[in-house]
Amino acid sequence: MDRRTFLKIVGMGSVSMAVGCSPDPYNAPRPEKNLFSLIHAPEDMVVGRTSWYATTCRECPAGCGILAGNREGRLIKVEGNPLHPVNRGKLCMRGQAALQGVYNPDRLRSPYLKSDGGWRAITFAEAEGMLLEKTAQAAGSGDNRVRMVTEVIGDTLLQLCTETLTQYKSAPPLVFEPLGYESLKSANEIVFGVRGLPSYRMQQADLLIAFGADFLDTWLSPVEYARKFMQMHALDGGGKGRFFFVSPYQTLTGANADLWLDCRPGSEAVVALGLLREILKLGRPTGLSRKLRYQLGNTASAYDKATVSKLTGISVQDFERLTEALRRAGRPLVLGAGLGNGSSNSLQTDVAVNLLNLILDPDLSLFDFEQRHRVEVAASLFDVKETFRKFAEDPPALLLLNNVNPVYAVAGGGEIEKAISNPATYTVAFNSFMDETSVLADLIFPVRHFLETWDEYSGKQVPVSTLQPAMGRLTDSPTLGDLLLKTVDGNKRSAEGYKGHLVGRMLSRADINGELDWLKAVQQGGIHQLPEPKRYKGRAGGPAAEKIEELFSTLAEPHASGLTLAAVPTVRFFDGRGANRPWLCEIPDPITRVAWQTPVMMHPDTLKQQGLKHGESVQVKTDRGNLEAPVYLTHSVRPGMLVMGIGQGHTAYGRYAEGQGTNPLRLLPAETDPRTGGPHFVTGGVQVAKTGRKAKLANTDGSRSQHGRKIALTVGLDSLADLTKKKKSGLTMSDFPLVLPLPEGYDPKLDFYTPHQHEGYRWAMAVDMDRCIGCGACAAGCYAENNIGIVGDKQVMQGREMAWLSVERYEDPDDARQLVFLPLMCQHCDNAPCESVCPVYAPHHNKEGMNNQIYNRCIGTRFCSQNCPYKVRRFNWFSWRWPEPLELQLNPNVTVRSKGVMEKCSFCVQRIKQAHGLAKDEDRSIRDGEIVPACVQTCPTEALAFGNLMDPGSKVRKLAEDPRAYQIMGYLNTKPAVFYLKKVIQKV
Amino acid sequence: MGQAEAATSFGRANRQPMRSRLDGSYGANRNLPMTELTFAKIDQTVLDTLRPASGRYWLAVFLLALGIMLGAACWLYQIFTGIGVAGMNIPVAWGTYLINFVFWVGIAHSGTLISAILHLFRAGWRNPIARAAETMTVFAVCTAGLFPFIHVGRVWLVYFMLPLPNQRTLWPNFQSPLMFDVVAISTYLTVSSLFWYTGMLPDLARIRDTSDGLRKKIFTTLSLGWTGEHEQWRHYVRIYLFFAALATPLVISVHSVVSWDFALGIVPGWHTTIFAPYFVAGAIHSGLAMVLTLMIPLRKIFNYEKIITMHVLESVAKTIIFTGLIVGFAYGTEYFIAWYSHNTVEMETFRWRAVGDYAYGFWIMVICNTLTPLLFFFKKIRTTIPWLFGISIIVNIGMWYERFVIIVGSVGHGFLPNAWGLYRPTLIEMGIMLGAFSLFFFLFVLFVKHMPSVSMTEMKETVAEGEGHGH
Amino acid sequence: MATKYVMGLFKREDQAVAAIGELKASSWPLHRTHSPIPSHKISDALGLKDSRVGWFTLCGGILGFITGFALAIFTSLRWELIVSGKPVVAVVPFIIVGFEFTILFAIFGNLIGMLVLSRLPRMENLEHYDPRCSGEHFGILSSSSDEDREGLLALFARNGGEARVFE
Repeated sequence: MDRRTFLKIVGMGSVSMAVGCSPDPYNAPRPEKNLFSLIHAPEDMVVGRTSWYATTCRECPAGCGILAGNREGRLIKVEGNPLHPVNRGKLCMRGQAALQGVYNPDRLRSPYLKSDGGWRAITFAEAEGMLLEKTAQAAGSGDNRVRMVTEVIGDTLLQLCTETLTQYKSAPPLVFEPLGYESLKSANEIVFGVRGLPSYRMQQADLLIAFGADFLDTWLSPVEYARKFMQMHALDGGGKGRFFFVSPYQTLTGANADLWLDCRPGSEAVVALGLLREILKLGRPTGLSRKLRYQLGNTASAYDKATVSKLTGISVQDFERLTEALRRAGRPLVLGAGLGNGSSNSLQTDVAVNLLNLILDPDLSLFDFEQRHRVEVAASLFDVKETFRKFAEDPPALLLLNNVNPVYAVAGGGEIEKAISNPATYTVAFNSFMDETSVLADLIFPVRHFLETWDEYSGKQVPVSTLQPAMGRLTDSPTLGDLLLKTVDGNKRSAEGYKGHLVGRMLSRADINGELDWLKAVQQGGIHQLPEPKRYKGRAGGPAAEKIEELFSTLAEPHASGLTLAAVPTVRFFDGRGANRPWLCEIPDPITRVAWQTPVMMHPDTLKQQGLKHGESVQVKTDRGNLEAPVYLTHSVRPGMLVMGIGQGHTAYGRYAEGQGTNPLRLLPAETDPRTGGPHFVTGGVQVAKTGRKAKLANTDGSRSQHGRKIALTVGLDSLADLTKKKKSGLTMSDFPLVLPLPEGYDPKLDFYTPHQHEGYRWAMAVDMDRCIGCGACAAGCYAENNIGIVGDKQVMQGREMAWLSVERYEDPDDARQLVFLPLMCQHCDNAPCESVCPVYAPHHNKEGMNNQIYNRCIGTRFCSQNCPYKVRRFNWFSWRWPEPLELQLNPNVTVRSKGVMEKCSFCVQRIKQAHGLAKDEDRSIRDGEIVPACVQTCPTEALAFGNLMDPGSKVRKLAEDPRAYQIMGYLNTKPAVFYLKKVIQKV
Repeated sequence: MGQAEAATSFGRANRQPMRSRLDGSYGANRNLPMTELTFAKIDQTVLDTLRPASGRYWLAVFLLALGIMLGAACWLYQIFTGIGVAGMNIPVAWGTYLINFVFWVGIAHSGTLISAILHLFRAGWRNPIARAAETMTVFAVCTAGLFPFIHVGRVWLVYFMLPLPNQRTLWPNFQSPLMFDVVAISTYLTVSSLFWYTGMLPDLARIRDTSDGLRKKIFTTLSLGWTGEHEQWRHYVRIYLFFAALATPLVISVHSVVSWDFALGIVPGWHTTIFAPYFVAGAIHSGLAMVLTLMIPLRKIFNYEKIITMHVLESVAKTIIFTGLIVGFAYGTEYFIAWYSHNTVEMETFRWRAVGDYAYGFWIMVICNTLTPLLFFFKKIRTTIPWLFGISIIVNIGMWYERFVIIVGSVGHGFLPNAWGLYRPTLIEMGIMLGAFSLFFFLFVLFVKHMPSVSMTEMKETVAEGEGHGH
Repeated sequence: MATKYVMGLFKREDQAVAAIGELKASSWPLHRTHSPIPSHKISDALGLKDSRVGWFTLCGGILGFITGFALAIFTSLRWELIVSGKPVVAVVPFIIVGFEFTILFAIFGNLIGMLVLSRLPRMENLEHYDPRCSGEHFGILSSSSDEDREGLLALFARNGGEARVFE
């Protein structure tokens, strides 16, 4: 969808929404039972056409702008908002899966009251009554009797909470976020004097060094940084930015590094200090005071190459490569510790990193202190635990929990459980799900999903980013804002409903002036003009030398021996809130290709040393407890390291989350870091014990090796030139030429039959593997767009996953640590082997070169799949189920397949048809880039391109003619219409 | 009675001249104990098999019926639940259903081979077993024909595969190997049934003439009023020859077509030109084995020793050595070509076959199909009933595994390693397989007790040839 | 003056052949002969030519060949769907269809040929028929009036057969 049409539709959509939708279910006439009825349909609802409403994603604190597609009143798809500065129209898989939060079958339809141990469903009116009564009582009973713990929320709502609480003479709400960046915040405070989370102008850097900051998985704002990273790292004019990753394990981010230095856990700081030493040696001018400089010199002097190598386990050569790169770099940017490695030394690491940045670029031009990440408002875990501990001592009368799940997400959160289940405290959980925390509450009060509410949430300070209801409500649940306003007595009320309050607030903040601005904001999903970037005016001379000295003097010994466990937030589940979204469970992990489960990743050496085998079930023990998980052999972690993803192993939280995988947080120490107040995600002293049981891994991959086949190819940056050299072509796998799926691609020497013509268009796709980071957003987009069935772990083990597009992971033949990601979908071959073998023409070639699959015609012989060299066809072994109300999300433009039918990627033919219609109305041909399949649309790094191969000017044609272009297994001469561009490996 | 006496006198009268002629040129008949075999005796022996059956017989029939019920139940369950109740997946989307399909089509082959090709070659030893072999063919094709239906995901739409006129003018795709199958298998079923029935006409007439009551009525209809009039024989002999002449290329084409279900695919391990001859040979191999498996008990139960002589069984055994060596050669050739092509994909596939997850299947195949039959080189073994029977069973198993190795052992390890996968049959599949075997034996058992399981006419011809009568 | 059918039943082919010879030489009609097995000698004795049934088979075959190809080509032209980059009318694969149909129809022709030529199914020739003819006897059916029946019977007896008179 191009910007114009987008604006048209969104404009029309949101204006009427803005006037049409009453935010307040109580003042408004009761909403229809059905989502809507055509008798009084909103005037923007055009049957058969999707209306897009601009709003903001709340699946994580990053706050990406999204467009929510509404078809006949049903929300069917979310896509990135092209106007939004954070994500520029792109979205991660968690954003895509927001839909399954609205439509989750386990979402509570009414409040639940705990009565004698069990739960009793009550009406919203009752619940509200009770809430008001309880607040009144609590407020009456003295100061600080009403307490609130909330997730990171928009400024307006947060202030409203504060005001409300103040009315009850109570302290402002505690903002809890499991991934709170405590270490980074403290480091920024120490070095820059800002206790916050500035954003980074990563795209302007030419060298990037991350000490575990997994900005492609979950760190701060993954979609934004994926885009910026690719801007700096993509091949551009023969060169590309360099990226070093220093961490004991790879994660998706490390897998995209040019060099991954697998240091010992906790030794990142040592590497950073080693770098400091090297840089200081250069004697460049720094903004630091002489004192600090001298002192730093002393501290760092201890860390020469040899020592660094000894302490970290990184080879001297690799370390030299790192320092050399840093020395030569023009605009280097160094990122600190990631969420996963919140180890004892993470503060030192982050401080050293900040100092490095300060020294390398005194005016920190790659930092943006205006655009700070919203998540910085979160309290440190220490404060959270402390607060709850106090609750235990002197229990508040009323405890309000807004959509937080500390019981699950906090390691050793015993005090939290105690406080919540304390009978002296009446706990109300504003939560749409029965999760580990809300089951302990006395009243579960579902509030509206973010896609159903008016609100404002800015992932960064400015710009303002608005939320609007993109659909009618599935339940009568009110929004938190409305509830809070109700608890305020009438005359003090700023507005009747939260929407009014919001508008008022925005007016007063001069974000907008007047109705028109408001509508414009709502229409575009916020106000996106970025202010002029200011230069960083740090305090002169940098931080206080004493503090630094003291800090580094307490550098803890890295875990040298024994096993170390790291619990890592994953691109799929974030902190665990994604675990009840079937798509996220079903789409396998990018690195392990394991779905539904939480394997424990170990290096082959570790396995040998422990006498374990890949795929066997092992018991992992720490002094905190133990759990059982399947062993996963991988080169993506350093020897001695055990890595498990955070997010699964829920004991409550709905059918998709419960009992799936395990929760490694249970093994982590309860105490927080004394300096930062942050959690420890890494712990030493881990034991593993054989269980003798063989665990069946629900993995979707066969072999990781390419067995010398022409599948996921790489090319050295230095040998790019050779690609352009004319090579003599032959008929073998190695020298078969690239043949276009067009008449000119036919050659009597290769083809028995004569070419066939296409009518005007020949759709094709190009995949730039150098841009692909393997995040799997495309797969999620595909699931959402094409009504792909969820089969569950058992069927995945059987090899029956249904993904039309899956990002395959191969190990580079030369280096198993170097992963290559290969988005694999139907190749729409011109000589498709699947077609001729079907007895009933179910798959056949259409006039625009696509390989159609006609579901109604398919009788399920499965010969097409047998004969497909790419094995991208999927078979409906059963009729997959969409438990109520998940089926409301199904895309009406795409057939829902029943049992016994073969299916596969259709290049989003429904979108192609739509474009045809539009072009026909406007009496023109389809423009390049007008058709955007779901996968292409959402790809954060624009690795995918789609278009008409017959148009010599089209992007896809240009990419197909790129010297890096090749076809998978091209020598089979199936003439695939999907072109892959070799991943460019640069030796650094 | 009169007949019986006549027969004996006939026999006695001809003992002398016949023996003298036995040393003549009718090699095939050399070991036929003509001395005891007369027209009457042949009739007697065969007609005796049609006597009312014992309780044990009906028990067997009942048990087989139960087996069929079980299979049917499994199939129904599969239809209502989804094909997923079988063990198949992506990449191995074909499993036991198609293995059994190919297996039974294979069995179906030597029937026509024996009665047609050997008829053309005038191999006398084929006559005693021709009828049973043809019967085996017909029933095996029926069983095989079931499996495509069981296999497809939406059996209720299977008529899409028939060229039926419809208002959407949507027709089947005659470029698909599966459509070749539809055409070839249905042709084969029709032709072999007609061949089988035509061959039975004179015998049916004989039964009509020797029975009365309802049975007479039935057989009068069945035998179409055949009287052995020379006007009839004149044409009959001719069409029988044409039948044989046409069935021979057909039988070869049919299993070639079945082999093209695979050879026309590009899957490594399938995509090879050797498949057609390889499959035909394999089919004959398994068919002959099945003939032994069926004949040996039949011979015992129906006292056919004089008709189905050891010489006959021995000749079958000898042919099995030959076919066994052919398939063995085919196995070898596949490996040679894989190595010779130097195609990494091919080489990997065949390496995996021999040492990979399904290596057991591969070695069962080699040992059962190629090595075991070599035992028939010893006259002692190929003339001892237990050995013959045992080895015939082993070959049947081996041939089943050959199909397993080909079908599962190829797609499991296709072009893209990321898609590699394994397959294990489920109980449902086992149930259906049991049902299929039951069905086959059920039909066969019913047949041998109610129809002439040995061609009286052809036996008489043999005797007559022995006497220098007839053709 | 009733004419009755008389059948001579011989246990041996050569006896039958001889009898046929005599009968043809005599004035008695030779209606038909029955035998449990096909016999060239008898055919020769009867002086029958080879069957023409082959023409039916041939026609069937040709018809089948045409039908097979026609069906394949016609059906593929209805929608002109391209599969695997092959031409809509891809001759090579159609050869198989053509071949199978050739065989099928040839067999039909074959069978029809026999039924037509030997006029089957036909029950009326079961009268004046002796069941033994399908067993071990060669039957020769003739007829005679009462007065010269003796001679006929004698003829059969002379050639070592027994005679059966159909009342």
